[in-house]
Amino acid sequence: MIPARAARPYANPYYSGIALGLVLLASFVLTGRGLGASGAFASTASGVVHAVSPSTAAANFYFSRYLADGARPWRDWLVFELAGVMVGAWLSARLAGRLGARVERGPRVTSPVRLVLATAGGAAMGLGAVFARGCTSGQALTGGALLSVGSWLFVLGAFAAAYTAAPLLRRAWQ
Amino acid sequence: MNSLVLAATIGVAFGWTLERAGLGSAKKLIGQFYLSDLTVFKVMFSAVLTAMLGVFWLSRLGIIDLGQIYVPETFIGPQLAGGLVFGVGFVVAGLCPGTSCVAAATGRGDGVATVFGMFMGVLTTGLFLPRFATLYASTPRGLFTLPEALHLSYGTVVLMIVLIALGGFGIAERIEGRP
Amino acid sequence: MTRPQLLGVGALGLAALAAFVGTPVPARPGEIDVNQLAGMIAREEDHVTAIDLAGWIKDRKPGLRVIDVRPAEAFDDFHLPTAENMPLPSISQAAFKTTDTLVLYSDGGAHAAQGWVLLRSLGYRHVYFLRGGLGEWLDDVMNPVIPANAAPDVADAFKRTVELSQYFGGHPTVGDRPPATTTSQRIEAMKRRGC
Repeated sequence: MIPARAARPYANPYYSGIALGLVLLASFVLTGRGLGASGAFASTASGVVHAVSPSTAAANFYFSRYLADGARPWRDWLVFELAGVMVGAWLSARLAGRLGARVERGPRVTSPVRLVLATAGGAAMGLGAVFARGCTSGQALTGGALLSVGSWLFVLGAFAAAYTAAPLLRRAWQ
Repeated sequence: MNSLVLAATIGVAFGWTLERAGLGSAKKLIGQFYLSDLTVFKVMFSAVLTAMLGVFWLSRLGIIDLGQIYVPETFIGPQLAGGLVFGVGFVVAGLCPGTSCVAAATGRGDGVATVFGMFMGVLTTGLFLPRFATLYASTPRGLFTLPEALHLSYGTVVLMIVLIALGGFGIAERIEGRP
Repeated sequence: MTRPQLLGVGALGLAALAAFVGTPVPARPGEIDVNQLAGMIAREEDHVTAIDLAGWIKDRKPGLRVIDVRPAEAFDDFHLPTAENMPLPSISQAAFKTTDTLVLYSDGGAHAAQGWVLLRSLGYRHVYFLRGGLGEWLDDVMNPVIPANAAPDVADAFKRTVELSQYFGGHPTVGDRPPATTTSQRIEAMKRRGC
Protein backbone atom coordinates (compact mmCIF):
# COMPACT_ATOMS: atom_id res chain seq x y z
CA MET A 1 0.00 0.00 0.00
CA ILE A 2 1.38 3.39 -0.94
CA PRO A 3 1.41 5.54 2.19
CA ALA A 4 -0.66 8.68 1.88
CA ARG A 5 2.18 10.88 3.07
CA ALA A 6 4.28 10.17 -0.01
CA ALA A 7 1.74 12.00 -2.18
CA ARG A 8 1.09 15.70 -2.34
CA PRO A 9 -1.93 16.87 -0.36
CA TYR A 10 -5.21 17.48 -2.11
CA ALA A 11 -6.18 21.02 -3.11
CA ASN A 12 -8.50 23.22 -1.07
CA PRO A 13 -12.03 21.98 -1.86
CA TYR A 14 -13.42 25.48 -2.38
CA TYR A 15 -10.75 26.29 -4.96
CA SER A 16 -11.20 22.94 -6.68
CA GLY A 17 -14.93 23.55 -6.71
CA ILE A 18 -14.50 26.94 -8.29
CA ALA A 19 -12.14 25.43 -10.85
CA LEU A 20 -14.72 22.73 -11.58
CA GLY A 21 -17.39 25.41 -11.93
CA LEU A 22 -15.19 27.26 -14.41
CA VAL A 23 -14.73 24.07 -16.44
CA LEU A 24 -18.51 23.66 -16.47
CA LEU A 25 -18.96 27.30 -17.45
CA ALA A 26 -16.38 26.92 -20.24
CA SER A 27 -18.32 23.94 -21.50
CA PHE A 28 -21.56 25.98 -21.59
CA VAL A 29 -19.88 28.84 -23.41
CA LEU A 30 -17.85 26.81 -25.90
CA THR A 31 -20.28 24.00 -26.65
CA GLY A 32 -23.73 25.04 -25.43
CA ARG A 33 -23.93 22.00 -23.16
CA GLY A 34 -22.63 20.95 -19.78
CA LEU A 35 -20.71 18.01 -18.38
CA GLY A 36 -21.86 14.43 -17.98
CA ALA A 37 -20.74 10.89 -17.38
CA SER A 38 -23.53 8.32 -17.33
CA GLY A 39 -24.55 9.17 -20.88
CA ALA A 40 -21.24 7.81 -22.11
CA PHE A 41 -22.07 4.50 -20.48
CA ALA A 42 -25.41 4.50 -22.28
CA SER A 43 -23.93 5.12 -25.69
CA THR A 44 -21.23 2.51 -25.11
CA ALA A 45 -23.91 0.01 -24.06
CA SER A 46 -25.82 0.89 -27.24
CA GLY A 47 -22.78 0.08 -29.28
CA VAL A 48 -22.31 -3.25 -27.56
CA VAL A 49 -25.95 -4.25 -27.96
CA HIS A 50 -25.82 -3.23 -31.60
CA ALA A 51 -22.71 -5.29 -32.17
CA VAL A 52 -24.26 -8.36 -30.59
CA SER A 53 -27.78 -8.00 -31.98
CA PRO A 54 -28.57 -5.04 -34.25
CA SER A 55 -32.28 -5.86 -34.27
CA THR A 56 -32.50 -5.74 -30.47
CA ALA A 57 -30.74 -2.39 -30.43
CA ALA A 58 -32.93 -0.94 -33.14
CA ALA A 59 -36.11 -2.09 -31.42
CA ASN A 60 -35.11 -0.65 -28.05
CA PHE A 61 -36.07 3.00 -27.75
CA TYR A 62 -33.35 3.73 -25.20
CA PHE A 63 -30.44 2.35 -27.21
CA SER A 64 -31.64 3.30 -30.67
CA ARG A 65 -31.28 6.97 -29.76
CA TYR A 66 -27.52 6.61 -29.68
CA LEU A 67 -27.46 4.74 -32.97
CA ALA A 68 -29.20 7.44 -34.97
CA ASP A 69 -26.10 8.49 -36.92
CA GLY A 70 -25.11 5.21 -38.41
CA ALA A 71 -24.20 2.92 -35.52
CA ARG A 72 -21.15 4.82 -34.31
CA PRO A 73 -22.07 5.51 -30.70
CA TRP A 74 -18.40 5.73 -29.76
CA ARG A 75 -18.20 9.05 -31.57
CA ASP A 76 -20.35 10.53 -28.85
CA TRP A 77 -19.57 13.82 -27.10
CA LEU A 78 -19.71 12.24 -23.65
CA VAL A 79 -17.57 9.27 -24.60
CA PHE A 80 -14.80 11.60 -25.73
CA GLU A 81 -15.34 13.76 -22.65
CA LEU A 82 -14.98 10.75 -20.32
CA ALA A 83 -11.89 9.62 -22.16
CA GLY A 84 -10.53 13.08 -21.46
CA VAL A 85 -11.53 12.73 -17.80
CA MET A 86 -9.37 9.64 -17.49
CA VAL A 87 -6.43 11.33 -19.17
CA GLY A 88 -6.77 14.43 -17.01
CA ALA A 89 -7.10 12.38 -13.85
CA TRP A 90 -4.06 10.32 -14.74
CA LEU A 91 -2.00 13.44 -15.48
CA SER A 92 -2.96 15.09 -12.22
CA ALA A 93 -2.24 11.96 -10.20
CA ARG A 94 1.05 11.40 -11.99
CA LEU A 95 2.26 14.90 -11.22
CA ALA A 96 1.12 14.69 -7.62
CA GLY A 97 2.58 11.27 -6.96
CA ARG A 98 -0.82 9.75 -6.37
CA LEU A 99 -0.74 7.08 -9.05
CA GLY A 100 -0.80 3.57 -7.73
CA ALA A 101 -2.57 0.27 -8.07
CA ARG A 102 -4.67 -0.31 -4.97
CA VAL A 103 -8.15 -1.05 -3.77
CA GLU A 104 -9.58 1.57 -1.46
CA ARG A 105 -11.75 -0.04 1.15
CA GLY A 106 -12.97 0.23 4.70
CA PRO A 107 -10.79 -1.41 7.39
CA ARG A 108 -13.24 -4.19 8.14
CA VAL A 109 -13.75 -5.33 4.58
CA THR A 110 -11.49 -7.43 2.37
CA SER A 111 -10.54 -6.39 -1.14
CA PRO A 112 -12.67 -8.99 -2.90
CA VAL A 113 -15.71 -7.96 -0.88
CA ARG A 114 -14.96 -4.33 -1.63
CA LEU A 115 -14.82 -5.06 -5.34
CA VAL A 116 -18.18 -6.84 -5.19
CA LEU A 117 -19.67 -3.90 -3.32
CA ALA A 118 -18.21 -1.47 -5.85
CA THR A 119 -19.72 -3.45 -8.71
CA ALA A 120 -23.11 -3.67 -7.01
CA GLY A 121 -23.10 0.01 -6.17
CA GLY A 122 -22.13 0.80 -9.72
CA ALA A 123 -25.02 -1.26 -11.04
CA ALA A 124 -27.47 0.56 -8.78
CA MET A 125 -26.10 3.90 -9.95
CA GLY A 126 -26.52 2.72 -13.52
CA LEU A 127 -30.18 1.96 -12.88
CA GLY A 128 -30.74 5.27 -11.14
CA ALA A 129 -28.90 7.25 -13.77
CA VAL A 130 -30.96 5.78 -16.61
CA PHE A 131 -34.24 6.84 -15.03
CA ALA A 132 -32.88 10.18 -13.87
CA ARG A 133 -31.39 10.94 -17.30
CA GLY A 134 -28.03 11.56 -15.72
CA CYS A 135 -25.82 11.40 -12.65
CA THR A 136 -23.95 13.77 -10.36
CA SER A 137 -22.10 15.30 -13.31
CA GLY A 138 -24.98 15.70 -15.72
CA GLN A 139 -27.80 16.37 -13.31
CA ALA A 140 -26.40 17.65 -10.02
CA LEU A 141 -23.67 19.84 -11.49
CA THR A 142 -24.97 20.77 -14.94
CA GLY A 143 -28.71 20.73 -14.31
CA GLY A 144 -28.18 22.19 -10.87
CA ALA A 145 -26.27 25.19 -12.20
CA LEU A 146 -29.02 25.75 -14.76
CA LEU A 147 -31.73 25.57 -12.07
CA SER A 148 -33.58 22.63 -13.59
CA VAL A 149 -36.22 21.35 -11.14
CA GLY A 150 -35.69 17.69 -12.03
CA SER A 151 -31.96 18.02 -11.43
CA TRP A 152 -32.41 19.50 -7.97
CA LEU A 153 -34.92 16.74 -7.15
CA PHE A 154 -32.28 14.23 -8.22
CA VAL A 155 -29.69 15.83 -5.92
CA LEU A 156 -32.09 15.90 -2.96
CA GLY A 157 -33.09 12.29 -3.59
CA ALA A 158 -29.51 11.12 -3.91
CA PHE A 159 -28.28 12.87 -0.77
CA ALA A 160 -31.32 11.79 1.24
CA ALA A 161 -30.92 8.17 0.20
CA ALA A 162 -27.16 8.24 0.77
CA TYR A 163 -27.43 9.64 4.30
CA THR A 164 -30.16 7.11 5.08
CA ALA A 165 -28.17 4.17 3.75
CA ALA A 166 -24.84 5.21 5.27
CA PRO A 167 -25.55 4.05 8.86
CA LEU A 168 -26.58 0.65 7.47
CA LEU A 169 -23.26 0.34 5.64
CA ARG A 170 -20.91 1.30 8.45
CA ARG A 171 -19.35 -2.15 8.38
CA ALA A 172 -18.21 -1.48 4.86
CA TRP A 173 -16.47 1.79 5.60
CA GLN A 174 -15.53 2.18 9.26
CA MET B 1 -14.72 16.15 -35.26
CA ASN B 2 -13.88 19.54 -33.82
CA SER B 3 -16.60 19.23 -31.20
CA LEU B 4 -15.27 15.83 -30.14
CA VAL B 5 -11.77 17.27 -29.68
CA LEU B 6 -13.33 20.02 -27.60
CA ALA B 7 -15.22 17.40 -25.59
CA ALA B 8 -12.00 15.56 -24.86
CA THR B 9 -10.24 18.78 -23.86
CA ILE B 10 -13.03 19.75 -21.50
CA GLY B 11 -12.91 16.22 -20.16
CA VAL B 12 -9.20 16.51 -19.42
CA ALA B 13 -9.85 19.67 -17.39
CA PHE B 14 -12.78 17.97 -15.66
CA GLY B 15 -10.74 14.89 -14.73
CA TRP B 16 -7.75 16.93 -13.61
CA THR B 17 -9.91 19.10 -11.34
CA LEU B 18 -11.68 16.11 -9.79
CA GLU B 19 -8.41 14.36 -9.04
CA ARG B 20 -6.85 17.51 -7.59
CA ALA B 21 -9.78 17.75 -5.20
CA GLY B 22 -9.28 14.16 -4.10
CA LEU B 23 -12.61 13.04 -5.47
CA GLY B 24 -10.96 10.02 -7.07
CA SER B 25 -10.72 8.45 -3.63
CA ALA B 26 -13.72 6.47 -2.43
CA LYS B 27 -12.66 6.85 1.18
CA LYS B 28 -12.63 10.61 0.83
CA LEU B 29 -15.99 10.67 -0.95
CA ILE B 30 -17.68 8.44 1.60
CA GLY B 31 -16.55 10.71 4.39
CA GLN B 32 -19.33 13.05 3.29
CA PHE B 33 -21.94 10.60 4.48
CA TYR B 34 -20.28 9.87 7.80
CA LEU B 35 -19.75 13.59 8.34
CA SER B 36 -16.00 13.22 8.67
CA ASP B 37 -14.94 14.82 5.38
CA LEU B 38 -17.33 17.18 3.68
CA THR B 39 -15.19 17.76 0.58
CA VAL B 40 -17.94 16.45 -1.73
CA PHE B 41 -20.40 19.07 -0.55
CA LYS B 42 -17.86 21.88 -0.71
CA VAL B 43 -16.61 21.00 -4.18
CA MET B 44 -20.05 20.35 -5.69
CA PHE B 45 -21.68 23.47 -4.35
CA SER B 46 -18.71 25.72 -5.06
CA ALA B 47 -18.88 24.44 -8.62
CA VAL B 48 -22.64 24.97 -8.89
CA LEU B 49 -22.37 28.50 -7.45
CA THR B 50 -19.55 29.40 -9.82
CA ALA B 51 -21.28 28.08 -12.91
CA MET B 52 -24.68 29.41 -11.90
CA LEU B 53 -23.43 32.94 -11.23
CA GLY B 54 -21.26 32.74 -14.35
CA VAL B 55 -24.19 31.77 -16.54
CA PHE B 56 -26.41 34.50 -15.07
CA TRP B 57 -23.91 37.31 -15.53
CA LEU B 58 -22.49 36.24 -18.89
CA SER B 59 -26.07 36.08 -20.15
CA ARG B 60 -27.03 39.41 -18.61
CA LEU B 61 -24.01 41.08 -20.17
CA GLY B 62 -25.00 39.68 -23.53
CA ILE B 63 -21.88 37.51 -23.83
CA ILE B 64 -23.80 34.26 -24.06
CA ASP B 65 -27.38 33.44 -25.03
CA LEU B 66 -29.08 31.44 -22.28
CA GLY B 67 -31.54 30.17 -24.86
CA GLN B 68 -28.72 28.37 -26.67
CA ILE B 69 -27.65 26.30 -23.69
CA TYR B 70 -29.14 22.84 -23.36
CA VAL B 71 -31.02 22.54 -20.07
CA PRO B 72 -31.89 18.97 -19.05
CA GLU B 73 -35.64 18.24 -19.16
CA THR B 74 -37.52 17.52 -15.98
CA PHE B 75 -39.29 14.24 -15.26
CA ILE B 76 -40.38 14.64 -11.67
CA GLY B 77 -41.02 11.01 -10.70
CA PRO B 78 -38.19 9.25 -12.54
CA GLN B 79 -35.60 11.81 -11.49
CA LEU B 80 -36.56 11.75 -7.84
CA ALA B 81 -36.77 7.96 -7.78
CA GLY B 82 -33.63 7.64 -9.86
CA GLY B 83 -31.89 9.93 -7.41
CA LEU B 84 -32.88 7.74 -4.47
CA VAL B 85 -31.58 4.58 -6.13
CA PHE B 86 -28.46 6.41 -7.27
CA GLY B 87 -27.81 7.65 -3.74
CA VAL B 88 -27.88 4.15 -2.32
CA GLY B 89 -25.54 2.94 -5.05
CA PHE B 90 -23.22 5.86 -4.31
CA VAL B 91 -22.82 4.88 -0.67
CA VAL B 92 -22.33 1.23 -1.52
CA ALA B 93 -19.68 1.97 -4.16
CA GLY B 94 -18.19 5.11 -2.67
CA LEU B 95 -17.76 6.56 -6.14
CA CYS B 96 -20.05 8.11 -8.75
CA PRO B 97 -19.82 7.62 -12.54
CA GLY B 98 -17.44 10.50 -13.15
CA THR B 99 -15.24 9.92 -10.11
CA SER B 100 -15.12 6.18 -10.77
CA CYS B 101 -13.40 7.00 -14.05
CA VAL B 102 -10.97 9.22 -12.14
CA ALA B 103 -10.31 6.42 -9.68
CA ALA B 104 -9.89 3.82 -12.42
CA ALA B 105 -7.49 6.04 -14.33
CA THR B 106 -5.30 6.49 -11.26
CA GLY B 107 -5.01 2.79 -10.59
CA ARG B 108 -7.83 2.11 -8.13
CA GLY B 109 -9.29 -1.37 -8.53
CA ASP B 110 -12.50 -0.27 -6.87
CA GLY B 111 -12.81 2.42 -9.53
CA VAL B 112 -12.54 -0.19 -12.26
CA ALA B 113 -15.14 -2.35 -10.52
CA THR B 114 -17.52 0.59 -10.19
CA VAL B 115 -17.10 1.44 -13.87
CA PHE B 116 -17.83 -2.17 -14.77
CA GLY B 117 -20.84 -2.26 -12.46
CA MET B 118 -22.16 0.99 -13.93
CA PHE B 119 -21.83 -0.36 -17.43
CA MET B 120 -23.66 -3.56 -16.53
CA GLY B 121 -26.32 -1.58 -14.69
CA VAL B 122 -26.97 0.75 -17.62
CA LEU B 123 -26.91 -2.14 -20.08
CA THR B 124 -29.36 -4.25 -18.09
CA THR B 125 -31.66 -1.35 -17.32
CA GLY B 126 -31.65 -0.34 -20.97
CA LEU B 127 -32.51 -3.84 -22.11
CA PHE B 128 -35.52 -3.99 -19.78
CA LEU B 129 -36.53 -0.37 -20.20
CA PRO B 130 -39.17 -0.94 -22.90
CA ARG B 131 -41.19 -2.83 -20.30
CA PHE B 132 -41.09 0.22 -18.07
CA ALA B 133 -41.48 2.79 -20.79
CA THR B 134 -44.51 4.45 -19.19
CA LEU B 135 -42.75 4.76 -15.85
CA TYR B 136 -39.65 6.08 -17.56
CA ALA B 137 -41.60 8.78 -19.41
CA SER B 138 -43.96 9.69 -16.57
CA THR B 139 -44.48 13.16 -15.06
CA PRO B 140 -42.70 15.11 -17.79
CA ARG B 141 -42.47 18.85 -17.33
CA GLY B 142 -40.12 19.68 -20.19
CA LEU B 143 -37.80 22.56 -19.54
CA PHE B 144 -38.87 23.42 -15.99
CA THR B 145 -36.70 25.67 -13.89
CA LEU B 146 -36.83 26.63 -10.23
CA PRO B 147 -37.81 30.26 -11.03
CA GLU B 148 -40.86 28.94 -12.88
CA ALA B 149 -41.73 26.45 -10.16
CA LEU B 150 -41.32 28.88 -7.30
CA HIS B 151 -42.73 31.91 -9.15
CA LEU B 152 -39.64 33.90 -8.25
CA SER B 153 -37.29 35.78 -10.51
CA TYR B 154 -34.21 33.97 -11.77
CA GLY B 155 -31.96 36.31 -9.80
CA THR B 156 -33.88 35.71 -6.58
CA VAL B 157 -33.48 31.95 -6.94
CA VAL B 158 -29.75 32.46 -7.56
CA LEU B 159 -29.51 34.45 -4.34
CA MET B 160 -31.44 31.79 -2.42
CA ILE B 161 -29.13 29.03 -3.62
CA VAL B 162 -26.03 31.07 -2.80
CA LEU B 163 -27.35 31.76 0.70
CA ILE B 164 -28.16 28.09 1.25
CA ALA B 165 -24.75 27.02 -0.04
CA LEU B 166 -22.83 29.56 2.06
CA GLY B 167 -24.85 28.52 5.09
CA GLY B 168 -24.01 24.92 4.30
CA PHE B 169 -20.31 25.76 4.04
CA GLY B 170 -20.43 27.39 7.46
CA ILE B 171 -22.07 24.33 8.96
CA ALA B 172 -19.63 22.04 7.16
CA GLU B 173 -16.65 23.90 8.63
CA ARG B 174 -18.16 23.60 12.08
CA ILE B 175 -18.84 19.88 11.68
CA GLU B 176 -15.34 19.17 10.43
CA GLY B 177 -13.82 21.36 13.14
CA ARG B 178 -15.28 19.15 15.86
CA PRO B 179 -12.70 16.58 17.06
CA MET C 1 -11.11 36.79 6.63
CA THR C 2 -9.71 33.79 4.83
CA ARG C 3 -9.47 33.71 1.06
CA PRO C 4 -12.41 31.28 0.66
CA GLN C 5 -14.49 33.48 2.93
CA LEU C 6 -13.66 36.48 0.77
CA LEU C 7 -14.75 34.53 -2.28
CA GLY C 8 -17.96 33.66 -0.45
CA VAL C 9 -18.64 37.32 0.18
CA GLY C 10 -17.96 38.00 -3.48
CA ALA C 11 -20.42 35.30 -4.50
CA LEU C 12 -23.01 36.77 -2.15
CA GLY C 13 -22.52 40.19 -3.68
CA LEU C 14 -22.93 38.88 -7.20
CA ALA C 15 -26.01 36.94 -6.14
CA ALA C 16 -27.60 39.92 -4.40
CA LEU C 17 -27.03 41.98 -7.52
CA ALA C 18 -28.57 39.18 -9.58
CA ALA C 19 -31.67 39.20 -7.38
CA PHE C 20 -31.90 42.96 -7.79
CA VAL C 21 -31.59 42.72 -11.55
CA GLY C 22 -34.01 39.80 -11.67
CA THR C 23 -33.66 38.42 -15.15
CA PRO C 24 -30.57 37.06 -16.90
CA VAL C 25 -31.93 38.38 -20.18
CA PRO C 26 -29.79 41.31 -21.36
CA ALA C 27 -31.30 44.74 -20.96
CA ARG C 28 -31.75 45.42 -24.63
CA PRO C 29 -32.60 49.05 -25.29
CA GLY C 30 -34.98 47.97 -28.00
CA GLU C 31 -34.38 49.39 -31.42
CA ILE C 32 -37.18 49.72 -33.88
CA ASP C 33 -36.12 49.18 -37.47
CA VAL C 34 -39.04 50.97 -39.02
CA ASN C 35 -38.47 49.77 -42.57
CA GLN C 36 -38.11 46.15 -41.57
CA LEU C 37 -41.21 46.15 -39.37
CA ALA C 38 -43.29 48.11 -41.90
CA GLY C 39 -42.36 45.59 -44.58
CA MET C 40 -43.39 42.68 -42.39
CA ILE C 41 -46.72 44.33 -41.63
CA ALA C 42 -47.42 45.01 -45.31
CA ARG C 43 -46.52 41.41 -46.21
CA GLU C 44 -48.81 40.20 -43.41
CA GLU C 45 -45.98 38.27 -41.78
CA ASP C 46 -46.87 39.72 -38.43
CA HIS C 47 -50.07 37.89 -37.61
CA VAL C 48 -51.68 34.47 -37.63
CA THR C 49 -55.30 33.42 -38.01
CA ALA C 50 -57.23 31.91 -35.15
CA ILE C 51 -57.40 28.65 -37.12
CA ASP C 52 -53.59 28.64 -37.45
CA LEU C 53 -53.24 29.20 -33.73
CA ALA C 54 -55.82 26.54 -32.93
CA GLY C 55 -53.85 24.08 -35.02
CA TRP C 56 -50.60 25.00 -33.26
CA ILE C 57 -52.14 24.58 -29.81
CA LYS C 58 -53.78 21.27 -30.70
CA ASP C 59 -50.55 19.94 -32.24
CA ARG C 60 -48.53 21.11 -29.21
CA LYS C 61 -46.14 23.05 -31.42
CA PRO C 62 -42.77 23.01 -29.63
CA GLY C 63 -41.79 26.32 -28.08
CA LEU C 64 -45.27 27.83 -28.54
CA ARG C 65 -46.18 30.51 -26.00
CA VAL C 66 -49.67 32.01 -26.19
CA ILE C 67 -49.64 35.42 -24.50
CA ASP C 68 -52.78 37.21 -23.32
CA VAL C 69 -51.90 40.90 -23.00
CA ARG C 70 -55.17 41.91 -21.34
CA PRO C 71 -55.46 42.85 -17.65
CA ALA C 72 -55.58 40.02 -15.10
CA GLU C 73 -59.35 40.27 -14.46
CA ALA C 74 -60.12 39.76 -18.15
CA PHE C 75 -57.69 36.84 -18.27
CA ASP C 76 -59.26 35.19 -15.23
CA ASP C 77 -62.71 35.57 -16.77
CA PHE C 78 -61.79 33.71 -19.95
CA HIS C 79 -58.58 32.95 -21.78
CA LEU C 80 -57.39 30.74 -24.61
CA PRO C 81 -56.16 27.25 -23.76
CA THR C 82 -52.46 27.25 -22.74
CA ALA C 83 -52.42 31.06 -22.65
CA GLU C 84 -50.25 32.97 -20.18
CA ASN C 85 -51.24 36.36 -18.86
CA MET C 86 -48.71 39.12 -19.47
CA PRO C 87 -50.29 42.57 -19.55
CA LEU C 88 -48.37 44.94 -21.80
CA PRO C 89 -46.54 46.88 -19.07
CA SER C 90 -44.82 43.69 -17.95
CA ILE C 91 -44.00 42.38 -21.39
CA SER C 92 -40.40 43.58 -21.43
CA GLN C 93 -39.62 41.67 -18.24
CA ALA C 94 -40.59 38.34 -19.70
CA ALA C 95 -37.59 36.26 -20.62
CA PHE C 96 -38.68 34.25 -23.61
CA LYS C 97 -36.35 31.87 -25.34
CA THR C 98 -35.20 33.29 -28.66
CA THR C 99 -36.31 30.05 -30.29
CA ASP C 100 -39.87 30.18 -28.91
CA THR C 101 -42.87 31.07 -31.06
CA LEU C 102 -44.80 33.85 -29.35
CA VAL C 103 -48.44 34.54 -30.28
CA LEU C 104 -50.04 37.57 -28.65
CA TYR C 105 -53.77 38.20 -28.42
CA SER C 106 -56.11 40.78 -26.92
CA ASP C 107 -59.83 41.50 -27.17
CA GLY C 108 -59.83 43.12 -30.58
CA GLY C 109 -56.21 42.71 -31.60
CA ALA C 110 -54.98 46.28 -31.30
CA HIS C 111 -53.05 45.84 -28.06
CA ALA C 112 -51.66 42.56 -29.27
CA ALA C 113 -50.44 44.27 -32.43
CA GLN C 114 -48.73 46.92 -30.32
CA GLY C 115 -47.18 44.16 -28.21
CA TRP C 116 -45.88 42.66 -31.45
CA VAL C 117 -43.98 45.85 -32.26
CA LEU C 118 -42.56 45.99 -28.72
CA LEU C 119 -41.36 42.38 -28.68
CA ARG C 120 -39.88 42.62 -32.16
CA SER C 121 -38.01 45.73 -31.11
CA LEU C 122 -36.54 43.74 -28.20
CA GLY C 123 -35.10 41.32 -30.69
CA TYR C 124 -37.48 38.38 -30.60
CA ARG C 125 -37.82 36.83 -34.04
CA HIS C 126 -40.80 34.49 -33.98
CA VAL C 127 -43.54 36.84 -32.80
CA TYR C 128 -47.09 36.98 -34.15
CA PHE C 129 -50.44 38.27 -33.01
CA LEU C 130 -54.03 37.27 -33.53
CA ARG C 131 -55.25 40.03 -35.84
CA GLY C 132 -58.91 39.64 -35.01
CA GLY C 133 -58.20 39.14 -31.33
CA LEU C 134 -60.37 37.04 -29.07
CA GLY C 135 -63.31 37.89 -31.33
CA GLU C 136 -61.69 36.04 -34.21
CA TRP C 137 -61.11 32.99 -32.00
CA LEU C 138 -64.73 32.99 -30.89
CA ASP C 139 -65.97 33.45 -34.47
CA ASP C 140 -63.64 31.12 -36.36
CA VAL C 141 -62.81 28.44 -33.82
CA MET C 142 -65.56 28.31 -31.21
CA ASN C 143 -68.55 29.18 -33.41
CA PRO C 144 -67.50 28.70 -37.03
CA VAL C 145 -70.31 28.99 -39.54
CA ILE C 146 -70.47 27.71 -43.09
CA PRO C 147 -73.29 28.84 -45.40
CA ALA C 148 -75.65 26.07 -46.41
CA ASN C 149 -74.79 26.38 -50.12
CA ALA C 150 -70.98 26.60 -49.84
CA ALA C 151 -68.73 25.53 -52.74
CA PRO C 152 -67.11 22.05 -52.44
CA ASP C 153 -63.58 23.32 -51.78
CA VAL C 154 -64.87 25.69 -49.09
CA ALA C 155 -66.79 22.81 -47.53
CA ASP C 156 -63.62 20.68 -47.60
CA ALA C 157 -61.56 23.33 -45.84
CA PHE C 158 -64.36 23.65 -43.31
CA LYS C 159 -63.82 20.03 -42.25
CA ARG C 160 -60.50 20.98 -40.66
CA THR C 161 -62.18 23.92 -38.96
CA VAL C 162 -64.87 21.61 -37.57
CA GLU C 163 -62.24 19.21 -36.24
CA LEU C 164 -60.38 22.02 -34.49
CA SER C 165 -63.56 23.59 -33.22
CA GLN C 166 -64.76 20.39 -31.63
CA TYR C 167 -61.34 19.79 -30.09
CA PHE C 168 -61.70 23.07 -28.21
CA GLY C 169 -65.33 22.47 -27.28
CA GLY C 170 -66.77 24.79 -29.90
CA HIS C 171 -70.03 24.61 -31.86
CA PRO C 172 -69.69 24.65 -35.62
CA THR C 173 -72.95 25.38 -37.41
CA VAL C 174 -74.36 25.57 -40.90
CA GLY C 175 -76.37 28.57 -41.94
CA ASP C 176 -76.19 32.29 -41.34
CA ARG C 177 -73.97 33.88 -38.75
CA PRO C 178 -76.03 35.36 -35.89
CA PRO C 179 -75.95 39.15 -35.48
CA ALA C 180 -72.65 40.55 -34.30
CA THR C 181 -72.18 40.93 -30.59
CA THR C 182 -69.34 42.21 -28.49
CA THR C 183 -66.60 39.88 -27.34
CA SER C 184 -67.75 39.93 -23.73
CA GLN C 185 -71.34 39.16 -24.73
CA ARG C 186 -70.16 36.19 -26.75
CA ILE C 187 -68.07 34.95 -23.84
CA GLU C 188 -71.07 35.16 -21.54
CA ALA C 189 -73.24 33.30 -24.05
CA MET C 190 -70.60 30.62 -24.40
CA LYS C 191 -70.34 30.19 -20.65
CA ARG C 192 -74.10 29.91 -20.31
CA ARG C 193 -74.11 27.13 -22.90
CA GLY C 194 -71.68 25.16 -20.80
CA CYS C 195 -69.64 22.20 -21.95
